[in-house]
Amino acid sequence: MFKRAVINKNRLLLTIMVILTGVSLSACAPKMVTKGDKFPLLYQDSPSSILILPPMNESTAAEAKDYYATTIQEPLSFRGYYVFPYEITTDILKMEGIYDSELMKDVPLQKFREYFGADAVLFTTIKKWNLSYMVIASNLTISIDCELKSTKSNATLWRYTGTVVVDLSGGNTGGGVAGLVAKVIVAAVRSAMEDYVPHARTANYMALNTMPYGKYHALYGKDRQDQFIEQIQPQSNQ
Amino acid sequence: MNHLKLGLIAVSALFLLGCATPEKMYYWGDYSNTLYQSKKHPSEQTGLSHQQALEGIVAESEKRNLRIPPGVYAELGYIYLRQNKKDLAIQNFKMEKQLYPESAVLMERLENAVKRSDQPDSAGKASFPEVKPNAPDKQEK
Repeated sequence: MFKRAVINKNRLLLTIMVILTGVSLSACAPKMVTKGDKFPLLYQDSPSSILILPPMNESTAAEAKDYYATTIQEPLSFRGYYVFPYEITTDILKMEGIYDSELMKDVPLQKFREYFGADAVLFTTIKKWNLSYMVIASNLTISIDCELKSTKSNATLWRYTGTVVVDLSGGNTGGGVAGLVAKVIVAAVRSAMEDYVPHARTANYMALNTMPYGKYHALYGKDRQDQFIEQIQPQSNQ
Repeated sequence: MNHLKLGLIAVSALFLLGCATPEKMYYWGDYSNTLYQSKKHPSEQTGLSHQQALEGIVAESEKRNLRIPPGVYAELGYIYLRQNKKDLAIQNFKMEKQLYPESAVLMERLENAVKRSDQPDSAGKASFPEVKPNAPDKQEK
């Protein structure tokens, strides 16, 4: 009888463990969704041209806005949309005094349709563009939130955030000589400053990968079943 | 021996051809990099490098029989315009419009701005007096 109780107890423990594992897996496993399910409005609206608006900068790096802006036009074109020449459209917006994000948000999207002929506008927000220094490690983080909105309906057609975290600790920085360690970290950090832009490009590709293809792409209209990892989105920009 | 060498070259050429990446959609060359450099270190030199990158995209795309990427003709035209090469500018705006009808509204606007700037009362610079994406009132304070 005593023995049996032990077995039962073991079985109970096992059951609990199995249940817990199941729960934790379902909580942690990334949820996959299809483009067709997640972005039905984009397929419905079917824009063929996209105007990239000047990025909104929520990071602490003032220069991030101009630098980031150089990284988005090329990857976006590969999604198969007509992408307006950013260098020109931004100059025009500057002349109109709406280069600053706060003012840009107040412009009715329909105006971008009338003035530029754009079917959709791409809002990009630089969430993070920074280095974080810790005692033994430092990280470079770039996070870009991208949101595509229709100039016909104002609806959000697509949205995704690309985040890149680069570990700069570079493994073994031991050795015991404090001065030497500091030098190693400084060198790593300095080279990282130069390297923001390539990582921003990676963040763009990450985000844009989930955007359904446009008319100039061979897979236009054929990607509804493509899967990607779902993100929980915060409130819309507007 | 020579035949063997030749054969080897032929085979490796075939192999390379077979392995060539699937046809790329666009050729952007060094565009992102030269653009970034021209923002980071604005100078005549970096500006020229970017212009050359754009001209290189047109030449290379034609060579590879690829469509010129969106915005490239337009951006080139814009650069020519700032160099006061108005005919060349208009020509490029027209090319952009022809290749991408989606750009028609903007390209015609630019063409008109160039033509207006030819009129004697103008300062000789392209201007956009009609640009009014409803600039908010906040601007005027």
